[in-house]
Amino acid sequence: MSLLSAPEGNAAVRGVGIGLRACHYREFLDSHPQTDWLEVHSENYFGDGGYDLHVLAHVRSQYPISLHGVALSLGSADGVRATHLAKLKRLIDRIEPALVSEHLCWGALGPRHFNDLLPMPYTSEALGQVVSHVGQVQETLRRRILIENVSSYLQFRASGMSEYAFLAELAKRSGCGILLDVNNVFVNSVNHGFDPEQALLEIDREAVGEIHLAGHSAEGELLIDDHGSRVVPQVWSLYETACRRFGRVPTLIEWDTSIPPLDVLLDEAVIAARHSQAAYA
Amino acid sequence: MRELAALQAQFGAGLDAPASEAGALELFVGETGQARQRLAIYRGNARANAARAIAAAYPVIGKIVGGEFFSGLATEYQTRFPSIDGDLNEYGEAFAAFLGDFPPAREIPYLADVAHLEWRVHRAHYAADPAPFDPARVATLSPEQQLKLRPQPHPGCHILQSAYPIARIWEVHQDTFSGEFDVEFEGNLTNALVYRPRFRVEVAQISDAEAGFLAAALGGETLETALAAAQSRDVSFDLGRSLNEWVQSSVIVDFKLNGE
Repeated sequence: MSLLSAPEGNAAVRGVGIGLRACHYREFLDSHPQTDWLEVHSENYFGDGGYDLHVLAHVRSQYPISLHGVALSLGSADGVRATHLAKLKRLIDRIEPALVSEHLCWGALGPRHFNDLLPMPYTSEALGQVVSHVGQVQETLRRRILIENVSSYLQFRASGMSEYAFLAELAKRSGCGILLDVNNVFVNSVNHGFDPEQALLEIDREAVGEIHLAGHSAEGELLIDDHGSRVVPQVWSLYETACRRFGRVPTLIEWDTSIPPLDVLLDEAVIAARHSQAAYA
Repeated sequence: MRELAALQAQFGAGLDAPASEAGALELFVGETGQARQRLAIYRGNARANAARAIAAAYPVIGKIVGGEFFSGLATEYQTRFPSIDGDLNEYGEAFAAFLGDFPPAREIPYLADVAHLEWRVHRAHYAADPAPFDPARVATLSPEQQLKLRPQPHPGCHILQSAYPIARIWEVHQDTFSGEFDVEFEGNLTNALVYRPRFRVEVAQISDAEAGFLAAALGGETLETALAAAQSRDVSFDLGRSLNEWVQSSVIVDFKLNGE
């Protein structure tokens, strides 16, 4: 696909970034916190104007930015909504981000939107549909996007392949990159009972364009991906494995609930950089 | 082959209502009891996400009715008006209509009008940023030409009329409010103006004459027509002073001639 030979989007994103959340806006307006790059949720900036876009334009002048969408619903049988895609395109044209990413999931159903990252059945029919939707999005946006593996609490009987084999095939057939959420791999390995190290081997070495790290919580035997705490030791270890397999991939610290002071996120990013270096040593 | 569509329809039905979850539960690996628990987690997430969006858009309603009653309202609202947009900042538009129609909420008669106001405040936050106004552009026009100008309100600007003092109710429930917590219910119609000087959305109670002028401006009328609307309500309406104030506070952000 010729459009994908456009300049590689992540040229400017290196090292470890953090998710920018509204409660930390002030610090980014008043000073220049030390972080390699920032990621925001695209939908939070879908407005015509206003404060959020003002802050985003400001940080865009200081840091490389990644736009991470949560609601495009690439896995919906209904297809991608043109209105949502148009808003994303408008935001990309305004911000000119270094990276654009979305999830391998669905949330829209007919007129309804569940506003959640719902799991997919990993079937060849679904793969064909998602490949087509990702292709349509990349053509409209005229750029390559990254697709993230989600955490899940349920698996479908219909699935004929693993989530990671599905994602790897999606990347091959659509030309998209993979945003590998290492915490999600770990959460799913516990929830569904598989070896997370083996899961990483299902993904091609050069396919991963970004890594996500976050904390999770436990409800009985089930791990809940709430992005509300520090990264746990097993996930750091899996991250080192990922670094060895996928190389120096830009990494993001995500924190979405019980958001702590900015210093805690920046500290977590420093720890991530240390683990990444340890992996190469 | 429409297996994906059928599966998502079943999953979605189970998410929306526990009573419709039997079909969904057959889709999942593992025993039914566990699948039921885990489906409930997804149901809870979807509800919590939508409830957070409602709470973010309607903080004053939340303060007036209290947390417990508010979360009951949010749950009932979601059942009647489920989210349809991937952008949750768009969710909650019908909340005022819902409050006006839902008997437990109607016990507080001004609740629906305050919700109308809060929705406009919420949306004004995301309204477009107007270009800076250059007074020199219209200063050279003759007084006759100036009367033909069409005042352009800020895209986030709105006027709401209510039988209750909704602007005052909104004001005393702001976190930044430090005055006397009292609201006088006099029974007169009031006009609330939503506006956004730079990035912070404000609400003010305005006079009938001011509301008449701004409603005309919002309707695309000329300065002359808007002025007549204001003066029909109050002959002493001071156009110069009002315009100056509105331009300063970004209520009016430009003036256009026909064809512009």
